[in-house]
Amino acid sequence: MVNPILLIIIPLGTAFLISTVAGSLKNSTKYLAFLALLANVWISISLLPQVLKHPVNVIIAGIKPPLGINLLVGPMGAIFSIIISVAGILVLLYSFKYIEGEGQSKYYTLFLLLITGSQGMILTGDIFNLFVFFEILAISSYILVGYAGDRNGFEAAVKYLILGSVGSVFILVAVALIYQETGTLNMADLAGKFASVASGKKMMIMLFFITGMGVEAAIFPLNSWLPDAHSSAPSSISAVLSGFVIEVALIVIIKFVYSIFAMTEILQYLSLVGVITLLVGEFAAFNQGNIKRVLAYSSIGQIGLILFAMTLNSEAGLSAGMMQVVNHTASKSILFLVAGYMIKMTGSYQFTDYKGIAKKMPVSSFLFVLGVLSLIGVPPFLGFFSKLNIIIAALAVGNTFNTVMVFLILLGTIIESVYFLKILQIFYIGDPIKGGVKEAPFTAVFPIAIFAVVILLGFLVLPEINIYAGSAAAELFTKIQITQVF
Amino acid sequence: MRKLVSIVLLAGFIFYFATLTGGLMIPSASDERSSVGLDILSRTADETGSANAVTSVVVLYRGFDTLGEVTVLFLAALGISVFMKSTGGVRKKALDQSFILKTGSRLLFPLMFLFGIYIITHGHLTPGGGFPGGVIIATGFFVVLLTSESVEFNKTVMSVLEGLAGLSFIGLGLVGLFGPDNSFLQNFLPLGDFNTVFSAGIIPIIYAVVGIKVAAELSSVVFAMKESK
Repeated sequence: MVNPILLIIIPLGTAFLISTVAGSLKNSTKYLAFLALLANVWISISLLPQVLKHPVNVIIAGIKPPLGINLLVGPMGAIFSIIISVAGILVLLYSFKYIEGEGQSKYYTLFLLLITGSQGMILTGDIFNLFVFFEILAISSYILVGYAGDRNGFEAAVKYLILGSVGSVFILVAVALIYQETGTLNMADLAGKFASVASGKKMMIMLFFITGMGVEAAIFPLNSWLPDAHSSAPSSISAVLSGFVIEVALIVIIKFVYSIFAMTEILQYLSLVGVITLLVGEFAAFNQGNIKRVLAYSSIGQIGLILFAMTLNSEAGLSAGMMQVVNHTASKSILFLVAGYMIKMTGSYQFTDYKGIAKKMPVSSFLFVLGVLSLIGVPPFLGFFSKLNIIIAALAVGNTFNTVMVFLILLGTIIESVYFLKILQIFYIGDPIKGGVKEAPFTAVFPIAIFAVVILLGFLVLPEINIYAGSAAAELFTKIQITQVF
Repeated sequence: MRKLVSIVLLAGFIFYFATLTGGLMIPSASDERSSVGLDILSRTADETGSANAVTSVVVLYRGFDTLGEVTVLFLAALGISVFMKSTGGVRKKALDQSFILKTGSRLLFPLMFLFGIYIITHGHLTPGGGFPGGVIIATGFFVVLLTSESVEFNKTVMSVLEGLAGLSFIGLGLVGLFGPDNSFLQNFLPLGDFNTVFSAGIIPIIYAVVGIKVAAELSSVVFAMKESK
């Protein structure tokens, strides 16, 4: 078996390597980044069959936990690791032509560190180590949001930086309180000891943690940074931030609530917050004229849906939520990446300026349509099955609260389809716009097409997806057992 | 009105916080709870061979966190260089300070450099180590830059040093991966004589690498700020 720690070490080491050789290799450093992520894809995929049998525990520095740090990889970790590596390498490929100008090696260094942070957050088995990787992920995303160096990007980055820093202080206080109360930082050890903490402190620790992580996960009302950050960042970065960064933070919250804090009484509040987040996102998206802001608000809506599904307190809900994560990663990446080249070609962020663009950019527009259809949940796309599973899981819980919530979700879906169809109508109807608008280059269309294949042909491997998502759900749903780990 | 509401909310929050965690700063009453700290304290000398228990925690027990923290610093320096470059601006004409300041800083620089190296290499014996030592060296560069603005530093050398130091940290960790325990950052060198400079296996080596990295990163932050003036 390949050691899962390489999933963190390879991108980190390559980032340092790029910084070393940037002076002599200049812009060719992107190929180094590509190789690193290629290795990551292979390792994460080869890890999956292993963890389905038994979770993998990696001890670092030869010191057994709880004294040392360990990585703990279950099906959820392996699946997320695959999502991060695959989405990462595809977006990196897109960046090859999309990112222009001098000093590109800094972009690729930051991109690799963003991957390092995400992988670390998912794989680690230690709460302070989680905080360190959270910082790596957060700081690299602040910088990447402002990478273009324009006024909007800079403003969004500073806004994101301020809110994100307040959030990370909350997480740090939660970690400190946990250590004070239980004397351990190891997740598996903690899962056994946390029950003995006094209930008031328990609630406070949990609220601190959810608030802090909720900023990064863009849960309402902590998400005011997201529309600016996701719309002002370079489109490749928007795709990554919407595609897996907010989901990584969300899954950490879910993992803590179910398997470490084990406090199911908060779940109903979280699912209510999820539905509110969904409605706020969809209503806000409805009125936007800037295409990237539409997509950013739609991400808020989707994260609300995932939060709702994962807080149903049932394995079916968690499994449906995991499927929705895959669907959102693929379809939202398509939309952001296509929007990136449309903005580049037309020089405008307003989608009303894209009249008849489908005649000039047929392939990109078609891929955009596929992404929209899967996001709304039209059969036979992957999004249909994940939304269907979420609704089935919610109705299976069977109380009035969840039935009302399902109605609200369907209302959100209707709003979502209205504003997306409005955009598609502009793409396909009307005279083609003047000017040198032409199809995006192959390095952009190819990765987008692969995302499209995932959502289009996902239904062919639906049983497999259900098995993997189900085992990830089972891992999250059951408390980490210390005997199972050590 | 908004201010009033926010003050009331803040006060309520502080009150809630204070009632729930009476004695937040006081360690827990039962020693059984803080078992991890006591455990480490009782076994660090035999296990790691480091006379300074804090260093053994920073470099070995939680060495993976240290790798992460070094990366956070690397990111912060990178971020400053990205943003300073994009904000641009007109560069002020280089102006040197008086002769006394200039000579004084040049006299101080080698001493600070040497002191930084001392702090770094004795990290496993006395309080100190890679982080404070690296800061001291960076301060030495800072003093020279403050007094003689016409001094130019080679930025490429700095970024190569940063990258190489990071790579060596990872490289040292990877050696452990091929060791008997197949564990990243495993202490694979002999522990040596307790409380001497050549002891504690890879701890002083890793701390030296951390020191170089911290010094290079903080210096490059200062250079980036100087250039964008």
